[in-house]
Amino acid sequence: MTEQLRKSYHDELETIREMIVRMAGLVGETIPRGTEAFLAGDLATAQRIIEDDDAIDAMSVDLEERCYQVLALQQPMASDLRSITTALWMNAEIERSGDLMANIAQATRRVYGSSFGPQIRGLIAQMGEEAARLFRLAIDSYAEGNSGLAVALDDIDDRLDELHLDAIAAIFESNREQAFDLQVGVQLALVCRFYERVGDHAVNMGERVRYMVDGWLPEHSGALRARARANEPPTGDL
Amino acid sequence: MTVLGAVLLLVLLLMLVALLFGLGQRRRVNQRLDRLANRLSGVVTTASKSPFVALERLEQVIEERELRQQSREGESRYEAALETLDAGVVVVDENKEVTFANSAAAWYRDGRHSEAVVAQKLDDLLESAMQGEQFSETVTLFGPPKRILFILANPIVVDSSFTGAIAVIHDITELEQSNAIRRDFVTNISHELRTPIGAVSLLAETLIDEQEPDVIKSLGSRLFVEAERLSMTVTDLLELSEIEHSNDSEFEPISLPTVIANAHDRVRAAAAQKGVTIEIASHNKNYSVRGDRRQLTSAIFNLLDNAIKFSSPDGGAVTVGVQDVFGRAVMKITDDGIGIPRQDLDRVFERFYRVDRDRNRSSGGTGLGLSLVRHIVTNHQGHIAVDSIEGEGTTFTIELPLVSTANNYP
Repeated sequence: MTEQLRKSYHDELETIREMIVRMAGLVGETIPRGTEAFLAGDLATAQRIIEDDDAIDAMSVDLEERCYQVLALQQPMASDLRSITTALWMNAEIERSGDLMANIAQATRRVYGSSFGPQIRGLIAQMGEEAARLFRLAIDSYAEGNSGLAVALDDIDDRLDELHLDAIAAIFESNREQAFDLQVGVQLALVCRFYERVGDHAVNMGERVRYMVDGWLPEHSGALRARARANEPPTGDL
Repeated sequence: MTVLGAVLLLVLLLMLVALLFGLGQRRRVNQRLDRLANRLSGVVTTASKSPFVALERLEQVIEERELRQQSREGESRYEAALETLDAGVVVVDENKEVTFANSAAAWYRDGRHSEAVVAQKLDDLLESAMQGEQFSETVTLFGPPKRILFILANPIVVDSSFTGAIAVIHDITELEQSNAIRRDFVTNISHELRTPIGAVSLLAETLIDEQEPDVIKSLGSRLFVEAERLSMTVTDLLELSEIEHSNDSEFEPISLPTVIANAHDRVRAAAAQKGVTIEIASHNKNYSVRGDRRQLTSAIFNLLDNAIKFSSPDGGAVTVGVQDVFGRAVMKITDDGIGIPRQDLDRVFERFYRVDRDRNRSSGGTGLGLSLVRHIVTNHQGHIAVDSIEGEGTTFTIELPLVSTANNYP
């Protein structure tokens, strides 16, 4: 009987892992799909992405409840507890990445009909590719429990950050040349920011994976600094 | 009397011993038969009452086992057959438990990213099929790589009762791509030929009733432009068809740098007019390939012509370089122009495919240039690829097999 319970408990943990991979699959697909729709001004696909995001949200709610159930009924310990809390975090990060792609789909509508130069188009295409790549790597690190890859995500994200800066500079430049309306410029800047945020979420996922595998908490270094500051004797004149 | 009595007693005693011995033997046979039946069936039952009952049970167990064996052999034969399919096959029982999945299907079921999306769709469709109807869906995956899958799920009915469902996944990417190419080709060719023909007939019609010499002259020159365009398209189409049917019997060793220099001469004026510089990396090595000089010059001319057309005006730069990579000449022609959008990259070699109709129309060309180039390269056992970032530029890479012994060309 106990053995059967343990088996269903481990099956449940496996189901949660699988649900995360599947939800991530859906979100990961919307990154190239949304980028192509944005660059092509494809309103029908943009609409699909916005609608599909609701399904992703529903999956996320299911997943969260499932995690709470395991926490309440099985009272997991050690690595099992870490894997459940990581699943909760991953769930939130993936769901948020999906929202960002839905935001890009909404921006597709807002800039519809306006054209922007090849340089900006190229930068957006590259940001889309880079964000999709980071997202996939983050999910790989989770599925494989690969903390080495998880640690590397922060550095891999540098390229997306650079592209973001280049894109903002290009938008300013185009605005100076009055290549498009200020409103379009703002939307473009927001879209670039959304991609950059998808990258940040991937880095966050990497940190959660490190916690799952090694028990490392992301804020350790900051907490250490705070403690060091608290122990320092007060400086300056009283 | 006493003797007789003693003999009788002995006989009785012996008979009793024999009976007891017989009963013991019988029980042992019973037990052994039961043990055998238990071993074969894997089920321990209560001891049989007689060897005949035990024997009967043993026969029954053996028969069941043989039947199971046969059905298992049949199943594994079907499973092995399904394993050879490119299509993914998944079978679930009435409790939605997967009872069989071939490796093509397992690739999706155990996968991540796009494959996980397919796994989810599979589950959804199988669940729908369990209601007793056929369900299908076409799934477009953005990957990369981009793929189009068709998933079909059917209920399995045995003796008019549902016993589960089966789903089949077909990869229809190539089919869809070739459909799109054919569809676009028919639309484009009718457009490319009809537009100038329409213009020619309209101009000619206007010309018939025109008396004003200036207007006649203007109409005539426009008529000439349209006729020229039509002639260019027809010439390119014929050249394409000629290349498609040409063979390598007249191929000869050719110096690639010479071919590049010849093509360069043909575009020099256009480049100067647009203010684009062409830089050809000089090589000490004389790369030699087997081929048709005219065709190869035409291919490189087309690529250079394109590079100049789409380079940034005044100050644009086109570079050409050749390298020897494992016995193959790898030539790169790079421009710093507007670039090609990602979604069009795979399609630029199609006949009449235009990335941006308006832009290409104003830049002239028949829409067959890159198609010609690809055919020529393929004819020469080569390979062509394109890489581009919008706003940064485009690089066309041609790979051709090098002739091993150098300096044997004229």
